[in-house]
Amino acid sequence: MTVTMCQGVFGAEFQSPVLLASGTCGYGQEYADLIPLNQIGGIVTKAVSLEPRPGNPPHRVAETPEGMINAIGLENPGLAGFVGEKLPWLREHLSQAHVFVNVVGRSIGDFVEVVAGLDEEQGFLGYEINVSCPNVKGGTMFGTDKVALDELVTAIRAETERPLVVKLTPNVPDVGDYARICQDAGADGLSAINTFPGMVVDIDQRVPLIGNQSGGVSGPAILPMGVYATWRARQACTLPIMGIGGIRNATDAIQYILAGACLVQVGTASFVDPYAAMNVHEGIQKYLTENGIAQLSDLVGSLQTEEAPTPPAPSG
Amino acid sequence: MEFHSPEIAAISQPGQFVMLGLGLDRPGTWLLPRPFSVGWTGEDGAIGILLRTYGEGTLALSRLRCGEEALVLGPLGRGFEIDDRSIECVAGGVGLAPFIFLAAREAAAGRRVRLLYGERDAGAVFDTDTLGDLTGHEPEIFTEDGGAGRLGRVTAGLDPESETLLLGCGPTPMLHALAAFALENGRDLQVSVEEHMGCGIGTCQGCVVQSADGRWVKACIEGPVFSVGELDWSLP
Repeated sequence: MTVTMCQGVFGAEFQSPVLLASGTCGYGQEYADLIPLNQIGGIVTKAVSLEPRPGNPPHRVAETPEGMINAIGLENPGLAGFVGEKLPWLREHLSQAHVFVNVVGRSIGDFVEVVAGLDEEQGFLGYEINVSCPNVKGGTMFGTDKVALDELVTAIRAETERPLVVKLTPNVPDVGDYARICQDAGADGLSAINTFPGMVVDIDQRVPLIGNQSGGVSGPAILPMGVYATWRARQACTLPIMGIGGIRNATDAIQYILAGACLVQVGTASFVDPYAAMNVHEGIQKYLTENGIAQLSDLVGSLQTEEAPTPPAPSG
Repeated sequence: MEFHSPEIAAISQPGQFVMLGLGLDRPGTWLLPRPFSVGWTGEDGAIGILLRTYGEGTLALSRLRCGEEALVLGPLGRGFEIDDRSIECVAGGVGLAPFIFLAAREAAAGRRVRLLYGERDAGAVFDTDTLGDLTGHEPEIFTEDGGAGRLGRVTAGLDPESETLLLGCGPTPMLHALAAFALENGRDLQVSVEEHMGCGIGTCQGCVVQSADGRWVKACIEGPVFSVGELDWSLP
């Protein structure tokens, strides 16, 4: 049978549900020689801040069991650098793949200024608002503060009509509460989830291994937490969700899709195998075919549960 | 250890590296591919690396058997830039790998290089007969315990009066000692740096070192080979 992977989301046609996650695909160009970017759903750029940021001292990355930890520190060329040096390439080369620009800031004013500076530019579909980077001072403030999150999303919403996606942090008691705040404040979608804060200790030197001392943990280790966060967000709001966290293959991606994500992002796995996103796409297609599901959209959120979910009781 | 990878073998240059891993279905809990300097290439399309076992990932790679597959991405990064000057290669541990490649190339062109190779102890020294076969050179060996070759650190073998082009690859403390020697004696030096790497192609921005003008530069695409003057050596 022929299956349809295409979905209309955020007012656009996505030929594939698979995107490359922010921070793992640069600004697209770095991967262009390795994989046919125009065959996937899209990419989410490395974060863009108002001013250029130098990033953190090394070590910035280290391996962890079934994952990695990073504290890059949002190194990026800033708004002007992005518009001048990175966006032209994206505009010229990504015709089929959609581009989300990941935006980060220290204050509401920072976010709004970046969005205002980008909004008239061509070459991207929408924004992914990073309220959850754990690797800079105050980086999770918006993502864990309900009032601040509401104010931020409301302020950005007033600035743009483009698709506005908020990337949630998992470091809250219930992601669903924050998902609902985003929806009420006018967001168009959610990315669930960003990394978990973590630490690796060098036992020989007796110091933190990462230059920033702590970092964000990603990779297969966080897969079940990401699926759970997606499911909580799905229960709490009706926004389209991009599922992200630990996806290696179609099996992982389909868990997110069943839990309620219509799109998925492949991140750390691309470092291990640059073709991971392509393989996820093909695997999902195969799953649909084998299960007689005509359209991917029929699968989204079709997880069968017996009763309404409740958050787990605190343990210990 | 050798891999059959004719495309990479055909275009690799000394100092360039490959990311080597077992993909997402790898055994164990390790994940990321590891960077390895290209150690040699064969006319049959082989590329060679020096593998030393440190942890779970390198152990899994060491258990690969003939006929099994690995993911090899490369050649990556900027290699050594050599000219007509005589060359002295200073290697620590598996930092020897790019100089096997370089020395063999030079030998094939009828030129000699000086190959200084240091290890902590005699037990770690790679087989000298094999090294001779691979490089066409006889390395000068230094060990910190004196168990093989000369006693002491490899940098002790350098002559301040010489005017050769110095090339270095090895642990960061060795590179610092080498940089201090080069700066003190006004010598040209290129080093291949070591830093934790995520992707090898510039996307993760994980593998930075500090440049002389205070920027973080990515070892994977701006290096791994840098001239001594390009980097800030005041940091640990």
